[in-house]
Amino acid sequence: MHKILIVDDSPTIRKMVRASLQTIESAEFIEASTGLEAIEQLAVARVQLIVLDLNMPDMHGIDVLRFVRRNAHYRSLPIIVLTTRGDETSRQTAKNAGATTYLTKPFAPQTLAQAVRDLLDSAVEATPRA
Amino acid sequence: MPTGDTFFDGFLDDYFAESEEHLTAAADALMRLDKSIGNASAERAAVDDLFRYFHTLKAISAMVELRPAEQLAHHLEHYLRAVREGECTLTTAGSDALIEGTRRLEHIINAHRAGSPLPSIEDVLARVENLVGTRGERPTKTSAPEDATETGRRWTCRFVPTRELLAGGIGVDLVRKRLGEIGTIVEAAPHVLPDATISFQFTLITADGVDVVERLSGIPVAVEAETPSGVEPEAAAVEPAATAGAPNAAISHVVRVDLARLDHLMQIVGDMVISRARLADSLSRVERHVPASEWRAVQENALASDRQLRMLREGIMRVRMVPVGEIFRRMPLVVRDLARENGKRVKLELRGQATEIDKYLIERMMDPVLHLVRNAVSHGIEPPDVRIAHGKTPEGTITLSAAAVGDMVTLEVADDGYGVNEEAVVNKARQAGLIVPPGPLDAAAVLGLLCSPGFSTKEETDRASGRGVGMAVVKAMVEGLSGTMALDTEPGHGTRFIIRLPVTLAITDALIGRVGEEAFAIPQGSVREVIEIAEADVRQLEENEIVPYRDGALPLVRLSRLFGIASTARTGRLHVFVLGHGSASMGIAVDRIVGQREIVVRTLADALVRVDGVSGATDLGDGRVVLILDPAVLARLTNQRARRVIPDAAAWGRLPA
Repeated sequence: MHKILIVDDSPTIRKMVRASLQTIESAEFIEASTGLEAIEQLAVARVQLIVLDLNMPDMHGIDVLRFVRRNAHYRSLPIIVLTTRGDETSRQTAKNAGATTYLTKPFAPQTLAQAVRDLLDSAVEATPRA
Repeated sequence: MPTGDTFFDGFLDDYFAESEEHLTAAADALMRLDKSIGNASAERAAVDDLFRYFHTLKAISAMVELRPAEQLAHHLEHYLRAVREGECTLTTAGSDALIEGTRRLEHIINAHRAGSPLPSIEDVLARVENLVGTRGERPTKTSAPEDATETGRRWTCRFVPTRELLAGGIGVDLVRKRLGEIGTIVEAAPHVLPDATISFQFTLITADGVDVVERLSGIPVAVEAETPSGVEPEAAAVEPAATAGAPNAAISHVVRVDLARLDHLMQIVGDMVISRARLADSLSRVERHVPASEWRAVQENALASDRQLRMLREGIMRVRMVPVGEIFRRMPLVVRDLARENGKRVKLELRGQATEIDKYLIERMMDPVLHLVRNAVSHGIEPPDVRIAHGKTPEGTITLSAAAVGDMVTLEVADDGYGVNEEAVVNKARQAGLIVPPGPLDAAAVLGLLCSPGFSTKEETDRASGRGVGMAVVKAMVEGLSGTMALDTEPGHGTRFIIRLPVTLAITDALIGRVGEEAFAIPQGSVREVIEIAEADVRQLEENEIVPYRDGALPLVRLSRLFGIASTARTGRLHVFVLGHGSASMGIAVDRIVGQREIVVRTLADALVRVDGVSGATDLGDGRVVLILDPAVLARLTNQRARRVIPDAAAWGRLPA
């Protein structure tokens, strides 16, 4: 079971992301609408991947990224930053802050699903089997 | 697998619903911005909020491929970013352009929803484009950012989330919200404790004497008060976006439900009401076969299920209810704008915003109320010089109020302006080729003229908005929702439009009357009184009948005559439902009144079955269909025939018996 955390302040976008990832096998979704809520979900659930918006109230996505990467537990957690296009400086900022993949809205459902699949696959390969 | 082109079309309803939320919030923020001149921190907060609304509108518009909306939102966001980063100052022209941009955005989205051609955006884009890089005349205080809240007491609050707490609904969002109610959150950030657990630390400033622990009432938050001397200049707040207190987050505890699902629930409850009535009917037939002791238990259960059914119905209705303030919230902007355009000074007062009304009605009342408010600004309120000349304050007042009385909701749009000039209305009506009743007109007749199709054609094309509806449309919409509209005006003192609507449709309490073999239901909310009069008291006035009522006379409609049913009343007494208010009141005579019932309204959609004066049908449980009377249409039918001269009390005695 893959737990995927979808973080976006827009309920419509969260729903769209969820729908785009319906084809991922055995995926379970958790949602958060602010950066603080995202971190709360990280604390209480075993999240395997985050789809993260940047511009949110309460705590900016970049701050979420920085916080997560500073924490040894989550250093290798795959994070897809999914943000509104046309803001090229933020791509570099996001990469520097630790984004694994950077995608822009509007997104094509297949592109997002593929990015998630790739990251989940490589995470499985990276985990040594016990 | 769906392609990217059509995949997100299925989310259009979500898109429209969310856009509406952001547009309403943006209108609100624009008003705050307008009031924040000279207050740097308030202005900053409004700009930040606006920025986020446009940012989200841009993103979701892009997802549903509504390019003009995306583009416009992008430009507005771009301008706000420039303001935020100090590249340009927010000018009056700037805030006007933001208002125009917000409005155009709304038009684009509405046009998209309606499937009509989208308005152009070139002019607004150019306007916003020009602003970026301007430093202008808006008076901004450049003094140190005055934060009055910095002077209170400072607290550090820590919250450690757990799965159990979250399952019980206690999460960081609730904590943030509750703390935000207690004081001002100046910083909110996550921390990792040495044992690797995550905690959230909030820095809170409250007024002196506030007990944060007590106010948190049981939410597990570790609270530490800082001693006054400990008010150190906080290590520069992480990043502006990380500070909390955003009003937007309030949405997250709300469950969004598709209205269609609630309609479905309501329909099921409706079916249950009918089944329940059928059961009562069957029970009454088996009563004599059941021993009295058994019967009592049956009846107790029947009564209990009645009560529960009513509670269920009321519960579902409550879910559908939203505060009427949703209609009001966009009005300040409309008024401010229109007043400026017309060179008038107008103050808008809102009352009863918390009054709740069915979501279905809210959506349909938005345009009519908007129209009345626009009318009040353009035609109701006088220009300042005229007002002064008449000894009034230069600033006019428009009052928008809502109140609930029983099953009805009243919406009022009142102004303290010119008042309706009867003579001008009559002249205009004659010019438009309308038939004007002779003699002095009462308010209802004046309203009737104002709302006649063809009375005003200018209003239809009024303003570039494209959503103007004429008074005729307003009236039709109100009546379509089983509501009524009334006018109250006094020349020189102002005008009041009163809209009365049932709080909800679908299921309602009704009084049941019988004529011959037929039963009719009439919504209880529209019945003012039930009276009984002697047949001998009915007077003939030309081709109409009237009966004495209070200090005057009441036009009488016999349902038996209206629908051509043989009356079976023999007692020489008439049972009359009194409907309507003031001069618009009327009496509906039936043979006998059977009682009060909860009815499920089914509208008659088939044009062949539709009859004037009947709004729908219901089933009382005995298997027979009962027609539901439509008071508004009945009133119009009587008006057409009976609106001649209604005698006053003094003239009463001279009428032929």
